[in-house]
Amino acid sequence: MTWDITGMAAVANIGATPGEIFASLCAGQESRAPLKAFDPDKYRAAYAYEIDDRPEGGGDLPRRATRWLTTVVRQAAADAGLGEDLARVPVLVGTTMREQRSLELWWRDGAQVAPEDLHFGTALKAAFGACTTYTFANACSASLYALGMATDMIHLGMADTVVVAGTDAATESGFGTLDRVQNDLPDALRPFDTTHKGMLMGEGAAAVIVQRTGTGTEPVHARVRGVSMNCDAHHATAPDPDGITRAVRDAHSRAGVRAEDIDLVMLHGSGTPLNDATESSVLRHIFQGAGAGPRMTAIKAMTGHTMGGSGLLSLMMAVLAMQSGTVPPVLGLSDPIPEAAGLHLVQGAPAAVDLSLAQVDAFGFGGINAVAIVEAAR
Amino acid sequence: MTATSTWRWADTREVVVTGIGLALPGVATPGDLLGPLPAQGGFNPATGLIGRELRHKDRASRLALRAAGSALHDAALADADGMFTGAADQTAVVVSTNLGNADSVCEAVDTIATAGVTGLSPLGLPQTSSNVIAGWVAIRYRLRGPNLTLSNGTTSGLDAVAWARHLIAAGRAEAAVVVGVEPRNHVVTKILGEQSTDAAVAVVLETADAAASRGARPRATITGYARTRNLTEALASTSATAEGPVGLWLTDGAESAGAAAGRLLETARRIDLESQLGPLSGALGVLQCAAAAAHLASGATGSVLATAGGPRHGATAALLLTPPPARLPSTQERGQHP
Repeated sequence: MTWDITGMAAVANIGATPGEIFASLCAGQESRAPLKAFDPDKYRAAYAYEIDDRPEGGGDLPRRATRWLTTVVRQAAADAGLGEDLARVPVLVGTTMREQRSLELWWRDGAQVAPEDLHFGTALKAAFGACTTYTFANACSASLYALGMATDMIHLGMADTVVVAGTDAATESGFGTLDRVQNDLPDALRPFDTTHKGMLMGEGAAAVIVQRTGTGTEPVHARVRGVSMNCDAHHATAPDPDGITRAVRDAHSRAGVRAEDIDLVMLHGSGTPLNDATESSVLRHIFQGAGAGPRMTAIKAMTGHTMGGSGLLSLMMAVLAMQSGTVPPVLGLSDPIPEAAGLHLVQGAPAAVDLSLAQVDAFGFGGINAVAIVEAAR
Repeated sequence: MTATSTWRWADTREVVVTGIGLALPGVATPGDLLGPLPAQGGFNPATGLIGRELRHKDRASRLALRAAGSALHDAALADADGMFTGAADQTAVVVSTNLGNADSVCEAVDTIATAGVTGLSPLGLPQTSSNVIAGWVAIRYRLRGPNLTLSNGTTSGLDAVAWARHLIAAGRAEAAVVVGVEPRNHVVTKILGEQSTDAAVAVVLETADAAASRGARPRATITGYARTRNLTEALASTSATAEGPVGLWLTDGAESAGAAAGRLLETARRIDLESQLGPLSGALGVLQCAAAAAHLASGATGSVLATAGGPRHGATAALLLTPPPARLPSTQERGQHP
């Protein structure tokens, strides 16, 4: 069984549509910016990958993650020809932080925030009449977990059309604690390069419309072949090669593909030395003996870590890469870490390649992993 | 070719409750939930939340670990050392919480304001992410199946039970530990506008076949679920009437006064757990599931309906539970269950 992707929308620091974001990735200009979201005097980290839509002159607004979410859901629904009435369509939202940024602004500054604003169903009801809505707080694999559960809903006959989305705004508690635990602070997110020092947060939202094959009225962007989801049950914040290996192999198995069939891997690539070494080692093992091996790239070098929505954003970039036959480079990658030796990481300039099958990795705190396999629609 | 948002599960695997665990002051056993509350005894947070394995964890995670451990023992899925004895790769963890890490988030903001990031504890990193509880439960019992956290407002607990069932129906897991948890602290009190209780409850779900093959006692079958616009739609979507009369309605009070329930529920006994225990938020639906299982395990007739939400919450969720398979006429072996 495969599932059709008939609508796509996204917003991040480097663009307000999937096409803009993809073009920025291909252009490869440095995108980090000085920290604006929070009082820089309180932090050691000086850079982030924020969406710059806060008021002039400082200060922050509640419900930014919610606003991006409703925007991308509206755009993705329009792209799929669904209109703005989603009363009968399930909406599955993956997020790391929910509206914890709004909670912070309420707690410290007295911003007007209600308990019902912490999850996204309230806004989705108001904007689209949607009632079958779910906020999955599933860390940085959340939106691919949501995609997997959307395919299950269609498979089990619960729905023909499902909206899958992810959204996150940077929180002070998250940004601050990451700052605290990273001894050698990164001034940019440099996945798989020997200069990588760690993760910096980004902000963004992404949404896709997933439909039972043949249900949609609009052209199919790509097809989902399978999505795996599991848990390392090993460490609260560090990745585990065994859990990631199981997730990748299960994704291949669900999709009915072999390692040598994969043309492109969208890496999780969070830029922490531990993630990059673990993901590289696992993929070297998986793709060992799989011919020349797939091209690989990592978008967080330019978007920052957009957390809950990052997996879905990577998936959308895979779709555009397959459509255009172009793989964007990993910004700032010039000297890959030894663990990545032999992996075809795209460096320097976009690579022109004929692609038909992509693997998308997303790993999160709590050791939760999700891997999606998507196929070009031809 | 119309999209639909409602479902029944007649075509998929039968999923039953085989274990219940509580970490809830004033409630010693699931059966207590059916009687007047607060009862005596139950969980004592002052003595129950300490211990080596709970060190450096947030309060919600500690509560959840106590409830999960108790449920696994109740399901006969833990050995004398408290280690999981089931199929770890095939066991999911599903947590419902809305306010579990609110204290960690707000306290971090206070610390940053007064002392900058260097005042923060590096041990606080896991609980900046809303899924911290599910992570610790998985790590403690080495549960390596899908790991989900629902933070879905007032319906969250019922939603979590339903999603655990979906994971089993879809073949992603053979069993699931579902935890509903909310901690009591000053941040939660400020959010809710009133003081609440520490509340953690866990239920173990697995297929009826798996339960039968290992000799576990099923307490209830999870039969239907919907999250829709209002109670009337939710009742229609779960086909509550098709399973015979509803003997017990676990309501959250939101719509119980309205006419929406109609004749279907007018004969049912009603229990509003929040009227007795105070606001339960993300723990509510899982606690309703535990109460339903206790009711059905006692040999009661009729099905149990649990509902949460209402107009103020943008949606209503309903979960229908029915007597476990061993007591259905078609599979009952006479004389075995006096």
